[in-house]
Amino acid sequence: MNVHLNELIAALPRDDSGPERMFAREELERIFADLAMRPAPTGSLQRLWNMSELSVQAALAYGFSRVRGWFAAAGDEEQRKLETNLRIALKIVHRLSYMRGALMKAGQAFACFPGILPSEILSTFEGLHFDAPPMHYTLIREVLINELGREPEDLFQSFEKQAFAAASIGQVHRATLKSGEPVAVKIQYPGIARTIDADIRNLVALMLPLRLGRNWDGLRIALQEIHRVLKMEADYRVEAGSIGKARALFQDSDRIVIPRVYERYSGERVLTMEYLQGRHLPDYLAMQPSQESRNEFGARICFSWYRMHAAGLNYGDPNSGNYLFLDDGRLGLLDFGCVLDDPAQAERSSVYHSVYASDRSAPDLRRAFIELGLNPEDLNDDSYLAVVDESVRWIREPFEKNGPFDYGDPAYLRRRTEWLSRASAHGHCLADDASILYFSRATFSLAALLYQLQAQVDMKSLPMDQWWRERSRQ
Amino acid sequence: MTANLLLAQGWENVTTRDITAAAGIANGTLFNYFSSKEAIAASIIGDALETAEQDFDRRRTGDESLDEDLFAFEWASLKRLRQFRKFLAPAVAAIFSALAQPLHEDAGAEIRTRHLQTVQKVLASHGVPQPLPAVLLQLYWTLHIGAFAFWANDSSPHQEDTLALLDRSLKLFAASLSGSQGVEHERSPE
Repeated sequence: MNVHLNELIAALPRDDSGPERMFAREELERIFADLAMRPAPTGSLQRLWNMSELSVQAALAYGFSRVRGWFAAAGDEEQRKLETNLRIALKIVHRLSYMRGALMKAGQAFACFPGILPSEILSTFEGLHFDAPPMHYTLIREVLINELGREPEDLFQSFEKQAFAAASIGQVHRATLKSGEPVAVKIQYPGIARTIDADIRNLVALMLPLRLGRNWDGLRIALQEIHRVLKMEADYRVEAGSIGKARALFQDSDRIVIPRVYERYSGERVLTMEYLQGRHLPDYLAMQPSQESRNEFGARICFSWYRMHAAGLNYGDPNSGNYLFLDDGRLGLLDFGCVLDDPAQAERSSVYHSVYASDRSAPDLRRAFIELGLNPEDLNDDSYLAVVDESVRWIREPFEKNGPFDYGDPAYLRRRTEWLSRASAHGHCLADDASILYFSRATFSLAALLYQLQAQVDMKSLPMDQWWRERSRQ
Repeated sequence: MTANLLLAQGWENVTTRDITAAAGIANGTLFNYFSSKEAIAASIIGDALETAEQDFDRRRTGDESLDEDLFAFEWASLKRLRQFRKFLAPAVAAIFSALAQPLHEDAGAEIRTRHLQTVQKVLASHGVPQPLPAVLLQLYWTLHIGAFAFWANDSSPHQEDTLALLDRSLKLFAASLSGSQGVEHERSPE
C-alpha cells in the first residue's frame, strides 16, 4: 500500500462505522496496487509512477470523501445502491487507467460518477480497456521518423534507448542534440488520440440514458472536461504552447525554472525539452531537508502556481511528480499537458478577493458566485450558498494568516475532506464551469503536495502581482 | 510494370490479358512462368519481402527483446510493401485466404514458408525451443495476416494505428511463448 494514500486517508474524518464503508478503501488499495504494477520499463520508472499517483490519490481521496457524505445521508436501500455504483465507478477508474494522467487531472469526474451510474453500464466498459505499454526502441524510431522526418541518429548526437520517465500516454528519453544540449524527449504511444475519441464517444453514448437525472449537468461537464484534457494531453503542440506562456511569467530571480521547448525537434507526438537535473519529492525528502529548505520550496510552489493562475494559466496537475527540487535551490516545473488557458480567470479571481476583502452580505456573495459561473438557481438555496462560501474561505485561509501558514498540519486537509462530505450530501458537483472544477481540484492537490512537503509558507510575503497582493492584505 | 498496372487500375480490374498486353507478350508466355494473377502478385510481394529481410538483418544490434525483434521484422516488411498498398488488400485476401481455391495455394505457400522460417530463426535466437509447435506457428501466421489486412486499409497518418496493433499483438505472442514454455527466454548467440 502506498504510504501517501495512507497519510491522506488517515487525515480523513474518522466517523465511519460498519464494514460496508470499508470496501471502498480496500478497493482503492487494490486498484493502486494494480496501477502501481502497470507497465513500467524499469524500476525507476515504476517509482516515478508511484510518486505521480499522489495526484490520483488526492483526486480519489477527494472523491472518496464526497462519497462518504452520500453514505452518511442515505438510508439502507440507498446505501446498497450507492455501494454498487461506487464499485462500478472504481472499476471504471481502474479500467480507464490508460487515461491515468488526464483522469487524475480531471479527478472531479470520479466524484461525480458514484450514485448515478446504473450497474448495467459496467459490462460495456470492459471493452474500453486500453493500456499504453512501454515502447521499445524500434517503435520509438518509427514514431520519431513519422513526426520529425528523420532517424534518431540523424536528429540527435546521442539518444538513450531506455526511457527514464513515464508520461501519461508515452515515455521520456534522455538525449543530446547535435549542438550539445542535453534534452528530454517525450514520445507518445501511436494511435492514442483516436482511441481517446472513440472511447469518450462510447462513454457519452452509454451515459445518455442518465440525462434526465439530477447530476447529468455535472456529469456532462466532467465528461467534456475529461475529453478536453485527454485531447490536450494527446497533442504536444498544445503543451509546447503552454510552456511558452508559462516561461514568460518568470524571471531568473524567481528561482523557478520551466524547461524550454526545442521546436525543431518537437511535433504533435514528440516533445523535446531542455533536460533538468533535479530530485523529485521522495528523493528530496530522503535527504531530510531543513525546515527552511522545505519552506523555501513550498513558497516557490505556491508562488509559481498562483502566478500562473493570476495570468490565466490553470496549472491543473500540481502533483509531486511534476516538480523538481534542484540542488541550487531552484524549483523546476514539468508537464504542462494539463493547463487550462483561461484569460478571463484573472478577473474572476479578483471577484473572489474583492468580495472577501470587506464585510459581505449574502446577496453580495450570491452575485459574486454567479459572476464566477455557479448556477444561479442553486445559489437560491442558502445552505448551498454556505457550502460554496466555506469552500472559498478554505482556499483563502492561508492568505489570511499573518505569518507562515503550516501546510503540514493535517487539520487543514481534513477540513477540506469534511467539507467535501457535507457538500456531497447536497448532491451538486459544485461547478458548472470547467475552470472552477480545475481550481477547486488543483487547490486541493496543491494542499496535499505541501502537506507532504511539510512546508510553512507566509503567503502574504510572496512576490505576487500587485493586484493580488492588494486583495490578500485586505 | 505489373505493379504499376495494379496500382493504376486496382486488383479487381486487372486481368492477365491486361498484364500480357502491357508487357507485349503472349498469354501463353506469361503462363509458362505464372499460373495466375495471384501468382504474379505473390512474386511482387516475395521480392519486396526478400529486400525487407535484408533491411531487418542490417538493423539488428543484438540488444533487442523478442517482441521488438519480431516487430522490426514485420514493420520492415510492411515498409517495403508500402508502395503496393493500394492493391495489396484484395491480392492478399486472394492469395492467403483460408478459403482460397487450391489453384492459388501455391502462390502464397512460398511466402508463408519463407516468412515463418525467418520468424523461427528469430525465435531460436531468443532461446525459444525449436521446432515451434505447429499450432503456435499457425497462431503467429494468423496474427501476421490480421495485422497485414489492417495495415492495407489503415488510413491513419503514417499508418500509426498499425504500429500500435503490431506492437501489442507481438507482445501478446511473445508473452504467450513465455507462458507456454514456462520460462523467460534469454537471447542465445546466433
